Amino acid sequence: MDWLEEELKSALSRKEPSEGFDARVTAAAQRRKVTPMPRRWLAAAAAVIVLAGAGEGYRWHQGQVAKDQVMLAMRIAGGKLNRVQTQIAGERQ
Amino acid sequence: MTGLQRATETGYDFGELMREHRSMVFSVAYHFLRDRDQAEEVAQDVFFSLHRNLAAVQSTAHAGNWLRKVAVQRSIDAARRRTRRPQVSLEDVAEPSTRPTSGDPMLGDLLRKLIATLPEGPRMAMVLRYQEDLDPAEIAEVMEIPLGTVKSHIQRSLVLLREKLARRGVGER
Repeated sequence: MDWLEEELKSALSRKEPSEGFDARVTAAAQRRKVTPMPRRWLAAAAAVIVLAGAGEGYRWHQGQVAKDQVMLAMRIAGGKLNRVQTQIAGERQ
Repeated sequence: MTGLQRATETGYDFGELMREHRSMVFSVAYHFLRDRDQAEEVAQDVFFSLHRNLAAVQSTAHAGNWLRKVAVQRSIDAARRRTRRPQVSLEDVAEPSTRPTSGDPMLGDLLRKLIATLPEGPRMAMVLRYQEDLDPAEIAEVMEIPLGTVKSHIQRSLVLLREKLARRGVGER
């Protein structure tokens, strides 16, 4: 190790944090401590998620049925309109 | 005694681990960031992580290695987030009015300032090499970068520091 490396070792020697660091960290860590969720709360949360998912799925299904009905109605109306147009064109000729 | 002070699963004491490793964790952050308040924030965050993972501690040496790795990562993250203080460039480091000599506190201060001007990779490699006395293979493992990159970071940084010191009239003894 040459002179520069010796100087670097000295310049980068370990330092201590400010006084009371341990106490501050301990107190803050204790405040942050997360208490585990009781099992029955976990089960209730899971049930709520499942119900919400099922509700959302049902709403999506209803939406699909309504969409299909609208599309069918439009197809029927379009067919009838075509027929009327053909009739009118025939009468004019 | 609460779960905070003692992990019943392993028997490792949080307070003792903190006392043993706090100067290492704080110094990695301090020498890298050159900001005492920010270094304390990083160190605090690192020990929160230890507290959350206390049950996984296998030995004090394992805790030390783990803390060093987390301190390195958190320090780099903090430096990337930092916007309030512009990075110091080499040109911003004032020329000392007198020539610092070996063993002079002024030389130590100048070296710390010059290291602060290095890019993050080389800077962290230098901190781990000279603060923690790690060899390049250990640094590569801690920083999760190739060994060749660590060697090049250290060699280039030493060349750069020698040049800058020579320009300031500081040379070999």
